[in-house]
Amino acid sequence: MKSINKLLKFIRIIALLIFFQSCAPSRVVRPLKKGEMQVSVNWGGPLLGFAGTTIPMPLSSISYAQGVTNEVTLFGGFHSTALLYGVFQTDLGACLSLYHPDSSQFGISVNPVINMAYDKWEGNFKLWPEVDISTYWEFQPNKSFVYLGVSNWFELTSERAHEQTQENRWLINPHLGYTYIRKNWNYNIESKWLVPNVNTKPNVVDYKGLNGKGGVGIYFTLTRKL
Amino acid sequence: MISVGVVLSGCFKLDDNLYNAEKIDGYQLDDFDGEQDFVLDDSYDVPSHLINIFSLNSQMASESTPTTIYAVYIGDVNRIKTDTVIMYCHGNKSHMDFYWQRAKLLANVREKNNYGVLMIDYRGFGMSEGKSSEEGMYTDVNTGLNWLYQNELTNDRLIMYGFSLGTAPACELAANTRNMVPSKLILEAPFASAEVVVQDASVLAMPASFVTSLQIDNAEEIKKINQPFLWIHGTTDKKNSFNTHGQVVYDNYKGSYKESIIVQGAGHSDVQVIYGFQKYCKDVDSFIKK
Repeated sequence: MKSINKLLKFIRIIALLIFFQSCAPSRVVRPLKKGEMQVSVNWGGPLLGFAGTTIPMPLSSISYAQGVTNEVTLFGGFHSTALLYGVFQTDLGACLSLYHPDSSQFGISVNPVINMAYDKWEGNFKLWPEVDISTYWEFQPNKSFVYLGVSNWFELTSERAHEQTQENRWLINPHLGYTYIRKNWNYNIESKWLVPNVNTKPNVVDYKGLNGKGGVGIYFTLTRKL
Repeated sequence: MISVGVVLSGCFKLDDNLYNAEKIDGYQLDDFDGEQDFVLDDSYDVPSHLINIFSLNSQMASESTPTTIYAVYIGDVNRIKTDTVIMYCHGNKSHMDFYWQRAKLLANVREKNNYGVLMIDYRGFGMSEGKSSEEGMYTDVNTGLNWLYQNELTNDRLIMYGFSLGTAPACELAANTRNMVPSKLILEAPFASAEVVVQDASVLAMPASFVTSLQIDNAEEIKKINQPFLWIHGTTDKKNSFNTHGQVVYDNYKGSYKESIIVQGAGHSDVQVIYGFQKYCKDVDSFIKK
């Protein structure tokens, strides 16, 4: 019975974390070719201490991406775990190639993203923009690439509950990832150090950061090319 | 698209996570050997004839029949008409056995067994029947206050003390009084509101309604309270942050008198241990006597 209660508690705590991992892994780092389409399922989240052990949050989202040109890919994500809590959360954005000459295995991309959430309980709406910048290296062309970058979330409001100052307006999340490319599928693993500039100790959630700063997240993505 | 998502969405909420209740078949009090925050030595013992365990009928407006809840009164029931009584609203864990040592400490605040102390198990906790809820918690504490009123306690001798979750009913019933009006309010490790809990965890300024329907809002309720107020908090509290929760409640109080006991290095549950039992008793008593 106690283990069931712990499980229930664990499930409920997920709710608190939905927004800390809000942007999930990077949707698209290397722009798709014109006309290419893909659907991805993402799973993972920040590591946290629970019941004496450290586990990644099993948060999930689904995303779709389509190459508009060779330099521009549009994408949208839908946060399935958030929906369980009556919150419709989505992110819409584009992956823009900044630098990727044909002769080079290196590339740089930038992703402007809009995150939105709406709850069915009180009708509250929240919007927060995000800009991701990544550099990638196709060390095995058409087989795999690694990438390194930073996600930037921007809090638009200067005030939090009870007229208190919202201290964290620009949230920085460095990320490092690897993508293994197959004919029809891509497999991806990514780690994010969420808000390393923010003290997350003490906190009601036992985030596993470094020196009490931020939280480390691990994400897995399975992509089907259409 | 949004409406489709909303229709398909589920109904998980954080609310039930607030109540970490445990059902039991009987109260053990001093004989309880489960996890406790601290255990007092024999000098704080309460004679058995001053320990009264009983049940009460508690009924919310929305209920057709009352719910049986359990209470313990430390003191001589026949002397409630003259004694000062502390209404102790416990935290969100287990049941009254877990908080027995804390209640016993309060009974020894001035001198041995000087103040009467009433503690109840909210519905869903310990032997109390029913399912825990925010409104149920307020109703249950008010039922305890009504019992004190029926035993001829007067407002000027009623002290309201809330710890952690218990700061919600303590604050609510001091701000929006029903039968009894407490003369003083003590909040130990209070939380500011459900919204602050969510925003502390999410880092972004998220609306609380995204994960909870709880309306607990001590930071706003405290503005309505004029009675003298004592705030007690450990500076390294990991559950209810000293800065984002306790300090906000303290700053929002605009009543007649306030003071604080800030315990450096203490967490959520060890304020009395770090501060020292005797010093804690002395300072709480000093506030009550003011």
